[in-house]
Amino acid sequence: MDSQQILGIFAAAANDPLGYARAWKDRTGRPVIGSFPMNFPGELAHAAGTLPMILQESPDPITVGHGLLFPFYCGYTRSMVDQAARGDFDVLDAIMFGDHCVQLLGAADAIRVQLTQTRVIFFQLISSMCDPWTQGRSEESFAALRAELEDLLGAPVPDAALHDSIRLFNRNRVLIRKLYDMRKTGKAPLRAAEMQHVVKSSMIMDKAEHTALLEQLVAFHEQAAPQAQPGMRLHLSGHFCQAPKPEILSMIEDCGAIIVGDDLYHGFRYISTDVPEIGDPIAGLARWYLDRNTGVPCPTRVQNNVDWDAYLLDAIAEERADGMIVLMAKFCEPHMYYYPEVKEAFEARGVPHLLIETEHESMALEGLKTRVETFVEIIRRRAAAA
Amino acid sequence: MKQHVMGIDFGSTTAKTVILDLKGRMVASRVSHMGAVSGDGVKDSVAGALEDAGLTQADIGRTVSTGYGRRMLDIADKNFTEITCHARGAVSMVPDARLVIDIGGQDSKVISVDSNGLVAQFAMNDRCAAGTGKFLEALARAMEVQLDDMGDIALEATQTLKISSMCATFAETEVISLLAEGQTKPDVLGAVHAAIAARTLGLVGRVGKKGPVVMTGGVARNPAAVHHIEKALGMPLILPETPQIAGALGAALIALDDYRAEHKLAISEADDDAMDRQMAEDKACIPGCKGVPGSMVVEPALPAKGKLGRLLGAIQNNL
Repeated sequence: MDSQQILGIFAAAANDPLGYARAWKDRTGRPVIGSFPMNFPGELAHAAGTLPMILQESPDPITVGHGLLFPFYCGYTRSMVDQAARGDFDVLDAIMFGDHCVQLLGAADAIRVQLTQTRVIFFQLISSMCDPWTQGRSEESFAALRAELEDLLGAPVPDAALHDSIRLFNRNRVLIRKLYDMRKTGKAPLRAAEMQHVVKSSMIMDKAEHTALLEQLVAFHEQAAPQAQPGMRLHLSGHFCQAPKPEILSMIEDCGAIIVGDDLYHGFRYISTDVPEIGDPIAGLARWYLDRNTGVPCPTRVQNNVDWDAYLLDAIAEERADGMIVLMAKFCEPHMYYYPEVKEAFEARGVPHLLIETEHESMALEGLKTRVETFVEIIRRRAAAA
Repeated sequence: MKQHVMGIDFGSTTAKTVILDLKGRMVASRVSHMGAVSGDGVKDSVAGALEDAGLTQADIGRTVSTGYGRRMLDIADKNFTEITCHARGAVSMVPDARLVIDIGGQDSKVISVDSNGLVAQFAMNDRCAAGTGKFLEALARAMEVQLDDMGDIALEATQTLKISSMCATFAETEVISLLAEGQTKPDVLGAVHAAIAARTLGLVGRVGKKGPVVMTGGVARNPAAVHHIEKALGMPLILPETPQIAGALGAALIALDDYRAEHKLAISEADDDAMDRQMAEDKACIPGCKGVPGSMVVEPALPAKGKLGRLLGAIQNNL
């Protein structure tokens, strides 16, 4: 199979996650468990023999869901509720909800009311990341989640199976990180939308199947010679829950930019950190949860010794990026609250950045394109005049 | 080596073309209405400018396009956004400008410019046509007045009314209601222009208020829009004589930068220095400004020998 065929499989799963889940369920006869972003340990559900998948925002307009959630909720939560109300989640045997923000909690309640026949598992993770009890509390959360899964499936989730799943998931993350590294050097000149398909499909597909395809894709690029990448090197930041629309990513690249790094959830944030493979697996998952916030800081977590803005400035220096585009999902409160700090830090350092507010509903792409083109022109002209 | 360059602003309502000689002097400019088939308006604008200059397209060494249709022009060698070009054009018209307010047919933008004349920050309407020329057009239709007469009528307002909606369609409903209540056209139009000023002030707030402020775009020809924006800003607006062509002029100047840098070796050093000096002098007012407060006019410093040429070369090499 060549790289384009592999990318095509990833794109197909990314574009129709629930369709993939239905086909997988028909093929295997095993349960499918959907979850909200961002810290659900898929390893646990995988070790229990299910297909864990991160529920994805649908590109469809919000319809009946309008009556269930206020329009000032973010596009991801409104889309989740709308899909639930339309019956799209009938393939799911259970849904895992987290409590990362108030809007996700609201959406969870609305979905729970709609899906009376679907098992709902709610798990809470401590948001204060550097207290002496953080590791212990996290272990308690993951242990409770394991017990809920065992209750749902009527079978234990053995440590050995969990270790196997952890190793598989780690391998998957390692391979995607290799792609990221090769993308920076030009050995894997994947377009931003293709990279998104790689990561997004990893959230959806059977991990063993996805990993096997990734092995081939990485091997293909490892053998390739680096290609020159003309264009303005940019870092993409933001979007903690939903994938940016691929047309926005393509539009940015069409304006003369190449995306050399990101901290998107449907990007590096998802695969930044591995789970320890030895020792108690629940303790390992708790460690992973803590380490994720130092791997790529998240504005929904509180950690005194971690700054997202400092992380971004370091990432941009390491990627030799010329600037950053911030993609902020409309009504994403954690992002809105934190963005002023990022803006201030970037202005103080003189690193150009452009804020784009994205919406679930269609956006005026032409106007956005003018803004991104201008951003690229500003950086070029300033560099030339320096 | 050819002796002229061209800038074309492919706007939503009008097309603007500017032709410069290699010393940056304007040889011709033409503004054409787009009509139903926008390509025809651009052709008319280009053909008119060429005719006025006594040139053909073959005489043009470099063509740069801007405006929303910038990518659709086959004759353009390069294209730049209207923000980059308006900033370049406005700063060449008013060298000390630090803020450019441009209100065109379907977009409005505020551009903050640094001391080198480069864009520092910008903000533009990105959701709807509120506060643009289209907004005024829609309301002119609703009120049955000529677009060109709106500003003068609005200045006759004797009382302050308020248009609360900035959506062109909803504002039209409000306008009709106000007229039905018996309010006069001047008062209602005064409110319409005050609403545009409030919208513009919002964009200024996003990039930071500073001056001197130059206003370009077709709406700069509307005296009521200028009056209300000045009132909202609490600052005078500097109005170029031909504000509509700022984008095309900026595109032409970028074409000139590009062409001269490419042919630098074909120009003697003496000529290059002479062109630098001429450019600096002409930048004091191309094609001429009016209403510039005396205190704001600062004679542009002559660049050091060849400095401008080197800067242009550096810019061109990085385009």
